[in-house]
Amino acid sequence: MLGYIIKRLLQLIPVFIVVSMIIFSIIHLVPGDPIDSMMQIGSTPEQRAELTARYGLDKPLPVQYGIWLAKMLRGDLGEAIILRQPVTALIAQNLPHSLLLGVLALAFSTIVGIVAGALAAVFKDSWIDRSVMTLILLGSTVPSFWLGLLLILLFAVQLGWFPVSGARTWSALVLPVLAIGLGGIALVARVTRVAMLDIARRDFVMMLHAKGLSRWRIQFGHILRHALLPVVTILSLRIGWILGGAVTIEYVFARPGLGSLLITSLNQRDYPVVQGCLLMLAIAVMLGTLIGDLVQAAMDPRVRDSST
Amino acid sequence: MGYKTKALFLSASTIVSATMASVGLPAVAFAQEATFVLSAREVGAPSYNPIKATRLNAGNTFIYDRMVIQDADQSFHGQLATSWESSADGMSWTFKLRPNVKFHDGEPFNAKTIEWWVPKFAGTENAFMTDSIAKVEIVDDLTVKFVMKNPDPNMLFNMASTFMGVPSPKAYDALGDKYGVTGAVGTGPFKLESFVVGQQTVLVRNEAYNSASKLSANQGPAKIKKLTLREIAEDSTAFLELKTGGVDMLLSVPTDFLPKLQAEKGTKVITLPGTEVFYIPMNTSVAPFTDIKVREATAFAINQKEILTNLFGGVGAEANNFLISSLLEAKVDPKLNISYDPARSKKLLDDAGWTVGAGGIRAKGGVPLQVKLWTQNGTEFKRITEVVQAQLKAVGIGADITIFDAATITAQYKKLNEHQLAVRSYSWGNADILDWFFSGKRLGHPNHSMWNDPKAEELNLKAMKGSRTWDERVANFKAYHEYVLSQFVFAPIYQPVQNFAYSEARLSVPATIRGTRLQGQTIVDIEKK
Repeated sequence: MLGYIIKRLLQLIPVFIVVSMIIFSIIHLVPGDPIDSMMQIGSTPEQRAELTARYGLDKPLPVQYGIWLAKMLRGDLGEAIILRQPVTALIAQNLPHSLLLGVLALAFSTIVGIVAGALAAVFKDSWIDRSVMTLILLGSTVPSFWLGLLLILLFAVQLGWFPVSGARTWSALVLPVLAIGLGGIALVARVTRVAMLDIARRDFVMMLHAKGLSRWRIQFGHILRHALLPVVTILSLRIGWILGGAVTIEYVFARPGLGSLLITSLNQRDYPVVQGCLLMLAIAVMLGTLIGDLVQAAMDPRVRDSST
Repeated sequence: MGYKTKALFLSASTIVSATMASVGLPAVAFAQEATFVLSAREVGAPSYNPIKATRLNAGNTFIYDRMVIQDADQSFHGQLATSWESSADGMSWTFKLRPNVKFHDGEPFNAKTIEWWVPKFAGTENAFMTDSIAKVEIVDDLTVKFVMKNPDPNMLFNMASTFMGVPSPKAYDALGDKYGVTGAVGTGPFKLESFVVGQQTVLVRNEAYNSASKLSANQGPAKIKKLTLREIAEDSTAFLELKTGGVDMLLSVPTDFLPKLQAEKGTKVITLPGTEVFYIPMNTSVAPFTDIKVREATAFAINQKEILTNLFGGVGAEANNFLISSLLEAKVDPKLNISYDPARSKKLLDDAGWTVGAGGIRAKGGVPLQVKLWTQNGTEFKRITEVVQAQLKAVGIGADITIFDAATITAQYKKLNEHQLAVRSYSWGNADILDWFFSGKRLGHPNHSMWNDPKAEELNLKAMKGSRTWDERVANFKAYHEYVLSQFVFAPIYQPVQNFAYSEARLSVPATIRGTRLQGQTIVDIEKK
């Protein structure tokens, strides 16, 4: 297992380098630059040139990338041009908010998704199955941005149960978690349902029936347990998705987090911050994939054996 | 539950616990506190350092006092300065300072503060504010003299800028680069308690406040004890916060939200004269706008009244020249003002050889009069641009709309000849905006009209550098403005007002708001009910 972990970690290095190049290129190739955001009415073209040079934006892009990469490898993501703080400090300030939102949304979508998928599988082709899957399909097709506004209107404005926005109280977490989590239930439920139906056809399940075990014990004690392997894989892949999905929700709910920081910085072309935020999201996706692979390998020895 | 499953749950709960601990949510607000929402345009302002920051939010005027402040009628009033005078040749300014003023850290405000403060702008992005000052001389403890490099009749306007809030020298030097982010110390009615960029600023009352200007009814400390300024980028969210009682006041309301707010029981909307103008720059270096007749026809095709009435419900004013109406330089020869005149527009296009072709779009030599019309994202921009497109079509000019984000459109302007027409706006309360948008030194951006005309440059130089007194400056800028108008390098559209909304049940706000914006001079008069 240790060899497998080391191998998977080494595989991440070239991926990380390529991802960092893509992130750097994308933001620098988008029209606009941060100096425009800093120019005041009355400032002169000479001041613009001086600022451009001060932040190293007059250097060729490969040189700028090299400087950024060298600093990044030392754990320094640079200084925000507009926000004028170390990028690592800005990320450290915002990441916990995004993580909290993401973890809670992931937990919500996982628990509800597994329960819904299991119910649909147990009551296959019944009205319960059809109702659950229809509701899930509806939930997954509604954009989270719009869903967020609908939740605000219903639960904050009409019912007054939760605050409209912000991060000042714990109750302010409920609606953003729902807005992100509801969209994620569909995938978990569908995977759970398909996996359970697949496992239900296996020989060992016939044996369990033959032994006289109750239907519920077979379904939830054995079939669901075995069906969780693909669910875990899906969940690990969703770690990055959840953080990325929080971008618009943080904006709608005026919450602190990587998403809010990313949008603010992107609008002002604050390159170091945008690069730092995108890098964090990319790392989350890479780590999610890694965790998924490791968990899968731990649960099913055939996975790690096949990769050696 | 197997070991692996347990480990998984344990890891997840550890992450949640650690994250919860680091997020550290604060306690629920107390009743005597007030919460305001800053303008969406001010979201993400990075610092409360008025010397170095290039973007500041309204909170700066709550923390800092300025030497002078400006009223809505553009008149100037003393705050940290009690009186001032300029020498006859404009080469010196003498300011008498307010006595017994202390910074939030207990340090005294006096002539030494000003002697320290003015040179601090050198080498910063805001250096142009004090460029004309050669040195500061201390006359006595409460009198300073600015010795000028050249006459600067715009001195008072600069001194009234938000960027001219005076910080405590001791705190400023002690905090270094972190000043404005981890701490900010002024003499204003509120002290900075905490600031999280993009999220919120918490201010507490300065109990020793004694430097209110005559624009404030309350000459003592503010009535609100604790003020939270929230940053909400989404206007709908801010509106719903006010509606549900989550916040007490919105420091900016888009005009298209006014009907909803006015229909809300218990919500009061205040309007102030605006400092913004919507207009259409025409790229004079690209055909067909190299032809002054086409430019003039385009300008007279814009129906300002229709836009004001149909899009903004009559809130605001028509723009008929480049400057906000309250400026003296906006009072140009009425013949030069630009107002909707479709007959004149059509005749000019006929005269220029553009005849009406298929589908109502004019053509000349087989080339249709089809132009690019750019705008930036944002509901107001999109709506105005769509109406402008229809109005241009009515006189036979076809326009293809492209929408950009603010940073991208600026980069596109810099390509110089890619754009033809654009719907844009500026917010500024001084005639030197003419230099910013029409100087031949700034072609592409911000001179989107690509206007580089020898006579215009001469008038610009005279207005910017050749005025010794305020009256001279007004006359020179008026002449420059009139020349720019006569060349039809832009089409004026609309002047919005500033809208604020608050809960009548929770706040008591003065009936009349003094100043160019709702700033520190008003905040001391606002009371929590």
